[in-house]
Amino acid sequence: MSTDMSTTPGSSSGSLLRRGGWRLEKRLEVKPWHEVVTLVGAFIVGLALCSILIAASDKSVIDSYRALFDGALGSRRAIYETLVQATPLIFTGLAAAFAFRARVWNIGGEGQFFAGAMGAYFVSDLWSAHLPRGVMVPVLFIGAAAAGALWASIAGVLKARYDTNEIITTVMLNFIILLILSYLLGDLWRSPDTFYFQTVTLPESTHLPLMIDGSRLHWGFGIALAMAVVVYVVLRRTALGYEVRGVGINRTAGSYKGISVPRVTVLVMAISGALAGLAGAAELAGVHHRLQLDISNNFGFVGIIIALIGRLHPAGVVVSAIAFGALVNGAVTMQIQTGIPAALVDVIQGLSLIFVLTGAVAVRYRLQRTSSDE
Amino acid sequence: MSDVLEALINVGVLASAIRIATPLLLAALGEMVTERAGVLNLGIEGTITVSAFGSFVVADKADSLWLGVLSGVGAGILLSLLMAVLVSSIKVEQVVAGLALNLFGIGMAFYLFRAVYPQTGGEMPRSDTFDFAEIPLLADIPAVGEIVFSQHWLTYAAIGTCPALWFALNRTQFGLELRSVGNNPAACDMRGISVTRMQYLALAFGGLMAGLAGAFLSVFLSGLFFVDVAAGRGWIALAIVIFGNWRIGRILAGSLLFGYLDAYQLSLQARGLEVPHQLLLALPFALTIAALVVNRRRSQEPLHLGVPYFRGER
Repeated sequence: MSTDMSTTPGSSSGSLLRRGGWRLEKRLEVKPWHEVVTLVGAFIVGLALCSILIAASDKSVIDSYRALFDGALGSRRAIYETLVQATPLIFTGLAAAFAFRARVWNIGGEGQFFAGAMGAYFVSDLWSAHLPRGVMVPVLFIGAAAAGALWASIAGVLKARYDTNEIITTVMLNFIILLILSYLLGDLWRSPDTFYFQTVTLPESTHLPLMIDGSRLHWGFGIALAMAVVVYVVLRRTALGYEVRGVGINRTAGSYKGISVPRVTVLVMAISGALAGLAGAAELAGVHHRLQLDISNNFGFVGIIIALIGRLHPAGVVVSAIAFGALVNGAVTMQIQTGIPAALVDVIQGLSLIFVLTGAVAVRYRLQRTSSDE
Repeated sequence: MSDVLEALINVGVLASAIRIATPLLLAALGEMVTERAGVLNLGIEGTITVSAFGSFVVADKADSLWLGVLSGVGAGILLSLLMAVLVSSIKVEQVVAGLALNLFGIGMAFYLFRAVYPQTGGEMPRSDTFDFAEIPLLADIPAVGEIVFSQHWLTYAAIGTCPALWFALNRTQFGLELRSVGNNPAACDMRGISVTRMQYLALAFGGLMAGLAGAFLSVFLSGLFFVDVAAGRGWIALAIVIFGNWRIGRILAGSLLFGYLDAYQLSLQARGLEVPHQLLLALPFALTIAALVVNRRRSQEPLHLGVPYFRGER
């Protein structure tokens, strides 16, 4: 039954429905495979709806999706490129997942990404001439994590102290950091030999080494995977993880159990910000090597979506980040080969998310045949 | 230095401040009503983008500005109703639904734009735009005429909406019920007021207003559509609602203030003055955070904002 449920959203509500011998009732237990079916179903429905869009513009649906697939996973090279695209999304996805586990709504991943990139640039600017690569790269990542954590903590402290809505403050902080960066790029940090808003190219000592020679796949991907493991262990095996999950389930009950909710809130924000900040470092040191205003392809916001599609689980985040990376990567090939605008991928992502969300609610219910004596 | 000061009260700057404030005011009023019914709609940015596209493409292809506005509004309402289905009927997390709507809406608008106007590398497609609607006689008053009475008709309409909306919210049964839904849905439910219906209506109104904001950007201001046409205005509208503490008068003032700061920094840039205009632009966002902290004891924030209502479950 659950396959049907996952693709028929809208049929669930708070009350139970009875119609024609069938009854909608709450499931006692949602099993993991229900959720997997929901996810796959949502993705297929998203693709199916988008094929209507493709067909409407007189293009071949099969050719388009084949180009999308080839571009995403069709060759060794394509796969490496997909992983490059997935790298920042794993970090920002983990950032969102960690915060959301504590029901701290950090919508500021985008801003924390930039704060991280700025922190990384700042320490590179200071020390890249003096430190060897083996020291400089770790320092750069630490700088990014610290900057991301600091920027996110503003929202964390405001929430802990004044109970301000963190959704709003993190959104505001996104704008503020971008404007600060824009100011710095136009002034202090601007490369002297260009009129663009960008810094000078950073020296070799800050470049992340490649994981695969001859590709663009850098060790940022490896660090991202390691972070997923760290987040998993922290959530599962440490006192902090227990507190995070406790606060997430019930703030009031958490405080009765002796958990300091304000402390956990600030800590969660800081850690979440640090994770998003690492994405900034990986992009700066692994891909761009110079700071610009357009180094983020909405990574912060997409990370939120990835966290949700990954059911706030680190492994789920990694899988859905790679899937999103594949879509983004494949879209470029699709646009070149078939002329289908790459923006189609945003539509697929948006639609899939909408169906994942509805599916996640729908999966809590099941259709049951009502017995004849009723 | 004198240039910097002169721009503060320059007639052109003040007139463009009101122009810039218009879409912010429209979207913020819509969002305020939506939030009063307990729904935090983070999808306004996407709604504005979709509406801007809807207005643009119809105005261009059907060669009618009015049809353009109409279809922009229709697109806005449609997207908001999708939000209503998600948050009010299916009850997914509002924050997430809003973000999904942004992704979907902006992607959809840009996809359709590229499908209708394939990339040629030439000039951007351009639609007609409305002319300014100068009010006879009043427009001849020196300075004030140019600043206030030579705007677009939609600007007058937006400002006119304020008292009407105030009356509807504060002096009618319907307004009272709408506000109660945001504050105490369980009590409303018991009184026989349908929470879901109210939220659908509020979201439709929010979509209408965001739709007008989108139309204003494409077929009033520029005659252009591009993927970043909303340029954060949806989020700024959200900020204005909080800055205005959910009160109409303050939302109007906030919109004008935000519009004024933008107009001022634009004119400083146009004069080629070396001032950190980004910091002026950041000021509204910092002020919004400050307002959140300062207003917290007198906050008009709906008590049930962002919380899905389940009958009998909680």
